Amino acid sequence: MSEQPLLTVTIDNITVQVPAGTSILQAARKVGGDVAPPAMCYYSKLEGSGGKCRTCLVEVSKGSEKDPRPMPKLVASCRTNVMDGMEVKNITSPRVTDARAGVVEFLLINHPLDCPICDQAGECHLQDLSYEHGKEGTRYEFQRRTFKQHDLGPYIQLHMTRCILCYRCVYTADQLTDKREHGILDRGDHAEIATLIEKSLENNFIGNVIDVCPVGALTDKTFRFKNRVWFLKPENAHRECPDCCGKVTLWNRGEEVFRVTARKDEWGEVESLADGSTAWICNTCRFEKKKSSDWVIEGPRKISRHSVISQGHYEGKVGTTIPTETFSAVHGGRKPKLLMDIHSVSEVNRPEIQLSQIAGPSTGNDFTTGKD
Amino acid sequence: MGMKLLLEKAHVEGIRHFEAYRREGGYRSVEKALKEMSPETIVEEVKKSGLRGRGGAGFPAGMKWSFIAKPEGVPRHLVCNADESEPGTFKDRYLMEFLPHLLLEGLIVSSYALGSHATYIYIRGEYAWIATILETAIAEAKANGMLGNNILGSGFDCEIYVHRGAGAYICGEETALIESLEGKRGNPRIKPPFPAIQGVWMRPTVVNNVETLAAVVPIIIMGGEEYAKIGVGKSTGTKLISACGNINTPGVYEIDMTISVEEFIYSDEYCGGIANGKRLKACIPGGSSVPILPANLLLKTAKGETRYMNYESLSDGGFVSGSMMGSGGFIVLDEDQCIVKNTYTLARFYRHESCGQCSPCREGTGWMEKILWRLENGEGKESDIDLLWDIQRRIEGNTICPLGDAAAWPVAAAIRHFRDEFEWHVREPQEAKRRNYGLAHYADPIHVPVAG
Repeated sequence: MSEQPLLTVTIDNITVQVPAGTSILQAARKVGGDVAPPAMCYYSKLEGSGGKCRTCLVEVSKGSEKDPRPMPKLVASCRTNVMDGMEVKNITSPRVTDARAGVVEFLLINHPLDCPICDQAGECHLQDLSYEHGKEGTRYEFQRRTFKQHDLGPYIQLHMTRCILCYRCVYTADQLTDKREHGILDRGDHAEIATLIEKSLENNFIGNVIDVCPVGALTDKTFRFKNRVWFLKPENAHRECPDCCGKVTLWNRGEEVFRVTARKDEWGEVESLADGSTAWICNTCRFEKKKSSDWVIEGPRKISRHSVISQGHYEGKVGTTIPTETFSAVHGGRKPKLLMDIHSVSEVNRPEIQLSQIAGPSTGNDFTTGKD
Repeated sequence: MGMKLLLEKAHVEGIRHFEAYRREGGYRSVEKALKEMSPETIVEEVKKSGLRGRGGAGFPAGMKWSFIAKPEGVPRHLVCNADESEPGTFKDRYLMEFLPHLLLEGLIVSSYALGSHATYIYIRGEYAWIATILETAIAEAKANGMLGNNILGSGFDCEIYVHRGAGAYICGEETALIESLEGKRGNPRIKPPFPAIQGVWMRPTVVNNVETLAAVVPIIIMGGEEYAKIGVGKSTGTKLISACGNINTPGVYEIDMTISVEEFIYSDEYCGGIANGKRLKACIPGGSSVPILPANLLLKTAKGETRYMNYESLSDGGFVSGSMMGSGGFIVLDEDQCIVKNTYTLARFYRHESCGQCSPCREGTGWMEKILWRLENGEGKESDIDLLWDIQRRIEGNTICPLGDAAAWPVAAAIRHFRDEFEWHVREPQEAKRRNYGLAHYADPIHVPVAG
């Protein structure tokens, strides 16, 4: 890899160098923060995924050093490879933000807006996407598409009403399991994810479809409605598993293990192992090992500070990561102009105090102590 | 009388079978190509002819052929796109039904030019009887040494297979067609890679329309330069137009692209005028996907020039005041037709035929259909018209394949040219249910602003 010349690509005024064959999305993820386009269907660990949801559309304002013509249409950044000298506009392009708002609207017109009773709430990619790029109201005034719930075997429940047809689970079932019995029926807006004549899915790795699902369409029946994710405490753990890598995240409340998932990185994808393979986990680890004694606990898992999951754990039992800030780099070094520094007037808002360092519920005393 | 290159012999007795076709001078181009020409010279001739793809996009066929990758040891394929499903287009059906050997002749020559030893005809499932006609024709050609191993002693081997689709409009898109041909779900692929690099089974593939491949036959016989002299500008050769709607004589006509739209609609040789003595209101000149034009913009361009039946003239003015040649499905609407209803029908079609792969098309087509249904049934609101415009704007160009554009254009053009009719449906819902909006001013002469 190191012998290959690196390509230079500029995304939102930030220049990165990536090896040939990298997609624009992966290059943007290297920059991180808001510059990385959202992706609902693309999953870097699944071959052939991406290009479908159109949330990652970006504008290519300069094709490459050799051919500087801009691309006429917005391109799906997950499936377009970078060229040397390419210039990409993501959050700096009004065309992109407009098209993305349109895509979010399209994705939401048939998605039930019942997050309070949805099991995925708190870790739902569509929820994050609509929070960041959506509008406050809907212009859709018709009945939404609904389906009945289906059990795909003893562990997985499929609720097509919530599905956004990203095809991730189809690729997962196709690439992790040997029999092809999970696919798409029908076409258009009446298409649905289904198994061959309502067969149950009996494969030791089929549980991974739950992890790849960006919304609450595929849920874990051993966990469904038992708890909300933000009340749970994620911990890294491992065990000797004869089938899979055995490296998982346990979601505990007190001593009780509520659910087991694969370890997910900051983009919501299952992490890679040291040898480059993906840390998919088997059904035994996921659904049956639900006692702390089954596992060797490694310690709390780092959760993004923006995620609701980190909010309930000020005791410091959950480590938090601070998301990459790209604002000044995108604006060519310009700092945001402060109209008023809240810290100069507020009694309680003090940036040097980390909320996660405060033990227990915080009071005014936590902020006034040590202040002149 | 216009020049006929393809359909000249269409009504000769028994032309569907090999003997009659051969007696009438058929398969001369195969003899000429295989005995006298190299594959490169054939591609060169097709390039010189200026033949444009007849499937809808109008991309130069010779150029498409020259893009095909030629890696060592990898077979190449030619696929004939006979999945003609565009509402209003039925020219390929006519050609294959009456002259199956003309298509085979074009296929053999093109296969030789592209080096395809296994050539496929992907035909839509609804054309069940035509698939049988083609299979009979293939068997006859094979029995007479025009197909199979060592054709006419030239050392070139070629087999043609007929593959029946299952009746999906989306499988007319070339990458969806390739997926379907491979036995998968007909979802369009993300391009690049283009089929010319990785097509059927990841091998270099050229996908051409039936009419394009049939037009290779006269090009080989008369030579590319002679062929380019027919027609006008970049619209060379002849084009099959399938005319339908409120006209006296609907049918498939071969035109040489020099006649005006007015002549095509009103002359007895072609459509024979509007049926029942009515007046022309609007026309969709190239199959359901292309923008609809009101009568005044159809007969004259926005500049006040006569509009002709060719690629350039029909698209004169862009989408603001023009349309497209498309696949040649010429749909004529008289003064009794309701544009809102017509647009709703088209939106329903695209909603039904969207593959559901990418979100703008999957959700947007359904949404547009529901709003149009509401407008058509007198339950619409003034804001619905702007909402429709906004939806189509956000579908167009943001999808994987052109079906999203094809669904957006008819709605956009209907609102652009017939907004008053939409508004009338909102303002007078009871009236709109009872009677049609009629001709209004759509057939009035257009006002051409004069500079100075």
